[in-house]
Order: sequence, then C-alpha cells, then structure tokens
Amino acid sequence: MKAKIMRVLFLIFSLLSISPTLSYSANSATENIAPVPLAPGYGTLGYELAEVGSYKLPALKDAPDGKVLDENGQQVQLHNMYKGKYTLLSFMYSNCKDVNGCPLSSYVFYKIKAAMNKEPLLASNLRLASLSFDPENDSPEVMQLYGNNFKFAGNKGEWRFLTTSSLHALNPVLQDYNQDIQRQMSVDGDQTEDISHILRVFLIDPKLKIRNIYSVGFLHPDLLINDVKTLLLEDEAADKPILQVAEEYEPKSPILSVPGDLKDGYETTSYTTQSKSLTNRKGLAADLFAVVKNPPLGLPKVSEPFDNPITKEKIALGRKLFFDRRLSLNDTFSCAMCHVPEQGFASNELSMAVGIEGRSIRRNTPTIYNIAYATKLFHDGREDSLEQQIWAPLLAKNEMANPSVGYVINKIRAIPEYKGMFEKAFDGEGVNMNTLSKAFANYQRALVSGDSPFDRWYFSYKDKKQENAMSGKAKRGFKLFMGKANCSSCHIIEKDFALFTDNQMHNTGIGFNESMGIRPATQRVALAPGVFVDVDTSIIDSVGEKTPADTGLYEITQNPNDRWKYKTPSLRNVTLTAPYMHNGSISTLEGVVSFYNKGGVKNSLQDPRIKPLNLDQNEQNDIVAFLKSLTGSNVDLLVSDAFAAPVGDITVNDPNWVHEVLSD
Amino acid sequence: MNHNLLNAVFNNIKLKLTTTLAVSTLLFSVTAVVSTVQADETCMSPYMAKIIGQEDFVYIWTLGEEGLGDGQDKLVTVDVNPKSAKYGTVIESLSVGGRNEAHHSGFTDDRKYLWAGGLDTNKIFIFDVHTDPAKPTLNKVITDFVSASGGVVGPHTTYALPGRMMVTGLSNNKDNGGRTAMVEYSNAGEFIATHWMPTDENLRGAKKTGKFADGYGYDLRALPRRNVMVTSSFTGWSNYMMDLGKMVKDPEAMKRFGNTVVIWDLHTKKPKKVLDVPGAPLEVRCAWQPDHNWCITTTALTSKIWLIYEDADNEWQAKPIADIGDASKIPLPVDISLTSDDKGVWVNTFMDGKTRYFDLTDLENVKQTYEKVIDTQVNMASSSWDGKRVYYTSSLLANWDKKGADNSQYFKSYHWNGKELEEKFSIDFNALKLGRAHQMRFGAYSLYANSSPVEKSKLASLIEQN
Repeated sequence: MKAKIMRVLFLIFSLLSISPTLSYSANSATENIAPVPLAPGYGTLGYELAEVGSYKLPALKDAPDGKVLDENGQQVQLHNMYKGKYTLLSFMYSNCKDVNGCPLSSYVFYKIKAAMNKEPLLASNLRLASLSFDPENDSPEVMQLYGNNFKFAGNKGEWRFLTTSSLHALNPVLQDYNQDIQRQMSVDGDQTEDISHILRVFLIDPKLKIRNIYSVGFLHPDLLINDVKTLLLEDEAADKPILQVAEEYEPKSPILSVPGDLKDGYETTSYTTQSKSLTNRKGLAADLFAVVKNPPLGLPKVSEPFDNPITKEKIALGRKLFFDRRLSLNDTFSCAMCHVPEQGFASNELSMAVGIEGRSIRRNTPTIYNIAYATKLFHDGREDSLEQQIWAPLLAKNEMANPSVGYVINKIRAIPEYKGMFEKAFDGEGVNMNTLSKAFANYQRALVSGDSPFDRWYFSYKDKKQENAMSGKAKRGFKLFMGKANCSSCHIIEKDFALFTDNQMHNTGIGFNESMGIRPATQRVALAPGVFVDVDTSIIDSVGEKTPADTGLYEITQNPNDRWKYKTPSLRNVTLTAPYMHNGSISTLEGVVSFYNKGGVKNSLQDPRIKPLNLDQNEQNDIVAFLKSLTGSNVDLLVSDAFAAPVGDITVNDPNWVHEVLSD
Repeated sequence: MNHNLLNAVFNNIKLKLTTTLAVSTLLFSVTAVVSTVQADETCMSPYMAKIIGQEDFVYIWTLGEEGLGDGQDKLVTVDVNPKSAKYGTVIESLSVGGRNEAHHSGFTDDRKYLWAGGLDTNKIFIFDVHTDPAKPTLNKVITDFVSASGGVVGPHTTYALPGRMMVTGLSNNKDNGGRTAMVEYSNAGEFIATHWMPTDENLRGAKKTGKFADGYGYDLRALPRRNVMVTSSFTGWSNYMMDLGKMVKDPEAMKRFGNTVVIWDLHTKKPKKVLDVPGAPLEVRCAWQPDHNWCITTTALTSKIWLIYEDADNEWQAKPIADIGDASKIPLPVDISLTSDDKGVWVNTFMDGKTRYFDLTDLENVKQTYEKVIDTQVNMASSSWDGKRVYYTSSLLANWDKKGADNSQYFKSYHWNGKELEEKFSIDFNALKLGRAHQMRFGAYSLYANSSPVEKSKLASLIEQN
C-alpha cells in the first residue's frame, strides 16, 4: 500500500508543477519519438470563448445511474449525487502516466476548484467528481489520498473522489458511459498497469441530463466554467420567463409567393443571394371553403361533381394528403414536392420535373392554380377529372412509384395520424380508392386564384371600373393580346370571366423541334454566378440518359395529325410559374413572347394561328407587362395556407420494415 | 506549495516519464498516446482512434443498382491485409433494403459504429463494426431524420464529435432545393438539435462577407485547436438525384449550386462567417500539423482548389490556390485526400477518371505533379495513414454515374511510392453484382479490445488523437 501511495503522490507532484509553457522532448536514445505537446487545458485556449449565455447546450441524453464508493468507502448512487448541482464527471485512475490523459482532467478540475474558491456561484452550483476505472489499485483510501493533494485549491466547493468495489461493479458504469478501457499488454503478453482509454469528461445537469462531453482538445477550465455559467443563466432565465433570451433572432418577413431560394440575376457577376430562412416559412390556415365557394373576381363558379361536393373536411383532408411525402414508395414524395406552393404551385427550379429516386419526367410541372376549371388534365390532355387524375402520379414509376392502389390505401390506413379523418370527411366511409381521390380533388379545386390587376380593370365595371388597376403599358399589351398578336384566340377571355385557355390541344412547334430538330454541338452551362462555359454536347451525353421521346397528344389518340400537340395552359399567375412551355424550355415571359413573335417552330402540323407577328420590341414588352398583371390577389393567402399545412414525413410510429426487423 | 521545489521534483521525473511514454509507444503494437505524428486515414474526425499501420478491412458503402443483383444498397467488406488468406476479396456483403442513395459514412468517436447515410430516403444505417470487425451487422436504422430535424433532407457527412454525431444535410422537405441544416445526434442515435445554415433572411449571427449566403450544405470538418468547424455547399435533392446529363442541360437547375463556405464556432455550433467560394465547394479537409491553421476544399463546377485559412489577424478567409484540369471540359473534381504531413493532396476528377496529386508544400505555388487514369470514371480516394496505400471507388451518385460501357464500378487498391501508383488488386462490383461502389472506411482488429485477431501479426498500430 505504501508503494501505491507514494506513486500517487509522485504523480500529483508532477501534475501540479506543469506550467503552461512546458513541453518535454524525447530521450534522443529512443529514436524519433515526437515531443508530446501539452493539451490546451494546461495553458491558454488560444481563442476567444463565446459570451456566457449566448449559446445553447441541448441535452445529449440521460446521465446513466450507477453504484460507486466514496472516499470513505460509503456507497453512493450516482443519480442521488447528481441532484442539486451541476456535476463534472471524469473517469481516471491514479496511476495514469499519459500527461494528456487523467492528469489533464485532474489539473483542469484543480483549476476549476480554485475558481470555486473565489466564485460562490460556482461553489454552490457545481460539483466535481473523479471516478476511477482501476478499482483494483484505487481503493477508497487511495482515492482519499489522491484527493488530499488537491486541497490547496481551497476549501470551497465540492470535489468527490470515487471508485468502485471491483471491476465487476465498475463495468456497468463504464458501459453506460461508453468508457472503453483496455489494459495495455507488455511485449510478453502480460498485463501492465497502464490502461488505454479515450479521455471524456461529462457535464451533467441536476435533472440528470448530459449537457456536454469534453475531450482532450477542448478540456479547458475556462471553457468548462463558461458552459456551467451558461447553463446557470439559462436556469435563471427559465425562472423568469419574461426575461428569457429568444432562441435565435428570427425576423418575421412577409410571406410572398416567391421561391425561398430566388436566383434572379444568376447569369451576372453582380448576383447576390436573397435566400429565405426555412424556419421562417410559416403561414396561417385560410378558409379555402369560402374561397372556392366565392371565387375571386374574374373567375366563374366552380362546378362540383354531383358525387363529390366540396366540404371543409374534405379540403382539409386533401390538403394534408397533398403535403404528405409518405404517399410514395420510399416516403420521399408528396404532390407538393413538384407543385411547390411558393413557386406558383409549380416548380421554378427545374425545366422538367424529377420523381422518386430522381427519375426523369419528360415535362414541366404545370401549376395547379385554377385547375378546378380545366376540362383536360396533363400536358397531353389524357385525363378529364381531378378524381381520376390523382392516380397517375401516385402510381407512375417515375413520380411517386406506389406499386398499387391497395398499397396506397393500406399505407394510409396504417399511419396513425389519419385515424378517423376519412370517416369524418366521408360520413363514416374510411379510406378507399374513391374517398382518397375525392379528398385530393377537393383541395386542388379550392386553389382558385383571380382578382388580378387585369380583373379589377376589366371586370369590375359592374361596381366601379378600376381604371388605374392596370398600367398603361399593360393596357397596350392587352390590346395587342386581343388583336395583332392574337394570343386570345387560344388564351380566351370571355365576357364575364377569363380562364385564359381554350382547354384545347395545339402544335406550336416546341415539341416538333425537340423530336426532329438538330441539336447544337455545344451547350452553354453556368458554373457559378456569371461564369459560363460552352460544353461539348458529347460530354453531356456521356453522363446523360437518352432523351425520352415525346409526341404529345398523338400518344393518346394515335392519330398522326396529333403529333406534338399540347394543352393550352391558363395564363393566370403566369409570372409565378417559370420556366415555360410543356418542357420548360423557355425561362422567361420575354422569351415566350419572342418565340411566338417569330411564329414558333414551323412544321407541317403547326397550328395555323401561329405565325410571325411582326411585333416590335416595345410591343413585345407591352404584352409581357400585360401577362405580369395576371397575378391573383389571393396567391399569398393560398401560399400562406399551404405553409401552415404539416409536411408529412415518416415517424417511428409509421409503418416501415425497419421497425419490425430490428425490434425483435 | 513551493513551486520551485515542485519544479525541481518534476525536472527529475520528467525524463523518466518521457522515457516511459517513448518505450511504450515503440514496443506495444496496441497503444494509445497523443502525438504530433498526424495523418488523415484519410479524413477521419480528430476525436477518434486511428489506424496508423496496415488496415485489415475496407468497408464500402455501396449503392444498389436496379436490375443488378438484389438491387439494394449494401455495406461491402473487403479484406485488404496482405497477410490474410482472403486478401483482395469481398468477405462480407450486408444488404440493407431499398436504394437509399448510399453516399457517405463515418464512425462514432469510439469507432464502434459506422453511420451510413442515404441521401434519397434520409435513412441513416448504423452498423456495429466492433463486435466482429470482419462481419459488420446492422444495429439500428434512423428512419425519422426528416421529421425529427424539422425538415432536413439528405444526410451526408456523419462526423464524430465527442459522444455525438454531426450530420450535414443537403436539402429540405419543402422544395427539395439546397437550403438545409446540420443535425446533431447522440451516439445512441437520438436527435439532439438542428443547426440551420445561415441565409440572407436569418444569418443567425454570422457575417456575410461577400455576395452569397445561400444556406446550402455538404461537408463538415473541425479544427478543434482553433475552435472552428468548416462547412461547404453542394446542391439540393432535385439536382443530386436527377440524371446528370439532363441537369447540365437545364439552366434553371444549374443555378442551384452552393457558392459558400461557412466558418462555425465549434464549441457553440453557431455560424460566424459566410465566405464566397463559387462553383460548388465539396469535400473539406483540415490540415493536421499544429501550426497549419487552414483547410482546403475543391469546387466541383469551377474546378479549383480553395484554401480556407486563418490570416494574421485571426480572421478566416478563402482564396483559390490552383486549377484542376480544364474547367471548360467540366472535369468535375470530386473526392480529395490530404496527406498526413499536409504536403500533398489527391484530387479525383470524375469525368476523365483521373486521380491527380497536387504538391501543397508551398501554398502560394500549388502544382499538380502526378496524374493517372484509374478508370472510365472515379470518385472516392482513401489514403492510408502512412500514405503508402491509396484506395479508389467509382460511383458519384446513382444518376450521375456514366452510362453504358463507361459505367465501370470497382474498388481498387494501389501502392504509392511517392512517384508512381501501382495497382495491387481490383474488384469489379458490376461482375459481382454488388452495385455502385462509393465511400470507403477502414477497419482493424486492433481497434477493439474484445475482438482478438486470429494472428498476432494482424494487429495494426493505432494512434489516438482526441
């Protein structure tokens, strides 16, 4: 015993005499062993610590319990000990020779103990605890002697020196605190007194939660004290809720129907980001029932299928489904991943959409604003009711990829959140192919948007004509739209309302060009804002799949005359839904007007109404101004409502093979 | 206490103490000491034990390919110890279900578990690699990463901090774009906190030093000595999941790449500075030498090596220090591997299948000094601690890999003598119907006390740097 005690004293002396600048070199006879630099804990940190209270230390996990012995050989329950104060717990052993191991933690504790002597706040709220993982050598008596050597740090504050009765008693504690130890072996395979371990010090709060874990690189008295004071300040603030420091500065910005990651001007070197915070993407639920029952100015009454009248409950259910990413084979795809609310319920970030697993979709995401009035759905017009349409994306292998109707139904049935929701919306009828379709259709039908500047100028004559609702430029554009440019022959404006579509199929030449046109030898590619290169098409082809064929309406009718015909889209909210055309090949409204001014792309099946228009640049600009006056006054309301909808992502309560396989 | 006396005592014992340390380092094949001999094995967290000798295994996080074998993602274990009878062969393949866009992986700080993320399905697969390092098992799957984190998509880098894992995201569940966050987990796989990348609207206290604050994320490395974390920025789900050819042709999509590197306070996990690094900075590697206060990254689109460094006024800055190939041909620099002494870096360029060695001894004059075509395409490079062995794999992303005959999928082992790479063996992942080989992590028996090796000679030396 005497020898052990002597060794303890010897190590203590060495420990306490380490000065911050000290480092020692290897004996030159022992080859090229690099000097061991002292850990930062022995000296100054070398960087400025964040201000006390300026950061958070979220709970990492519950501090495990355990039975240990104190300096007097009395049994101590760790959980009992932790109560009442913050505890810094270090695992160590008295024989430790690694200067950046246990001696470091003892040195740092010694410094903190000295600080406790000066600062009553620390002395009354902090406890230090050194627990040996070498019970065979570190008896309570040895631990007491070890501890006695730190007494000159002052008598204020608490520092416990703990051990266990045996390795058997210690092991569960080590395991719970994930302290792997390994008795080092000599070359002859005998055990030495050296123990290999990774130094970790735990900061445990009075509620038995671990709040930080320190390693050699940042085990420093200043940093540890900073953390303890930060937690004490947090406690103080919690006691006085009014004074509580806001978690983060989160300015409230107006919710607008613009992408959160706006890239306008990316082509130029003067581009600056205008990114929005996702944590601020919050909205308020709107009364969509009222919106759809009384459509905004410029829109006709919404017709409701006789077997699917619009109700509040169905809209709410459809809205929840619309944003639920679990309604796909691998839980990653909702309708809203392509029909993004703040991107015009379309996708501004892609010419052509991508589906599950990144599979290519050969067309641009159309907006679903005012989809209630569409008599043909999809760019090729292959569907004619929203109730039927929904099954195409749900089951398409390159969209949401659900393997069957039954799969979708059964999955929704198994998700706890949907319990009772269908029954409530459908007079007791649960989820099935019909009710699911009807709920989806109700929400989509409710997204009617009008009362644009144009509507207020053109349709408000019954009350009081709002002559100034639209600019002079837009009014000139309107005149061209109706006359010289002849846009209105397809984008129709009626006497009492305007849908800006004839719901018919036309060949403009865009599709023809994609199928039959000659591809350029190089393609201009943006590498960074304002930085472009012209890349050989062959290079791009080497990493691209073959472009899928697209012949438009022909694919549905099989009539050769229908090749490359696509549906006329509405122009309402067209400013919000770039890029344009069925393949998203034109980025701007200016580009679209220019395309038509040139007469589209000539081909034998081109709609005869499309021909060179001979509009000068001012006239083209006027038409663009008109198109920009078609944004509905309620888009922010609808987007805000969408922001308020929960995004459905998988939780541990949801069906998933993993939970079953790994739980047994 | 008389400090003069103590110092005298210490001076007497200091030599003994040093000798003890030195001898133990020399003699024991398994030991753990702190040292300045540092390498990156090749890019591990500084908080964990590292293998400095011959590694026994390489774990390859592999993407399932539809129509190839079972089509599922899998962890493939290859025996890489030349003294083993199974050297150069696949000794284990563990399928995990689904194609999750397997990408990066990282060990917990105790190196007992390997966390491997799926960029598409947002699952994190936690493998037990300590019970039997030759036969990893699936211990836990985190399935609720998105809902728990508040909408973060695309778990990428899984980086060990003491007792916890920091997981960088690439995207979000609102628009599948590039705005994202880092997500902190306990080693047990419990969610702790979400740390959002700074945006213009909410810089979270960071300083926007240039024109960009895009809020994008990708990789993460820490320089504990300087209390710094460094993150880079790639692109969102829509882009990294879509066909590469289709994306390059889509001008809207090409605007959605990250142009920033963020400097964080490592201790508080708060962003301090947003630096302009245009052209999608990807992998970040921080220097190991004690006087090297810098990290490097490479930009995928603009094909440059960038230095992220602390200047004389303790301010962090970024500057380009070398071109990688001909940017107009989009060589697409992907993985990088910094040498143990910070004197060189391997840079792979995906499009031409080349690995390139850049000399970093003079950071003002960085030059490519060696290159070799590994195959039709190359992505990851992993160097051993001593720099003598370099391993390569092929896959970048499922829909970015080359098509047809150019879609070679492999794991290759090379020896590097300082002048030439010499191929030792190659495993064809297509022929074995395994899938697309992506990230590599090393394993060794000697990391774990309870997994005794069959032969004593298999013990690798370890170094601990925490």
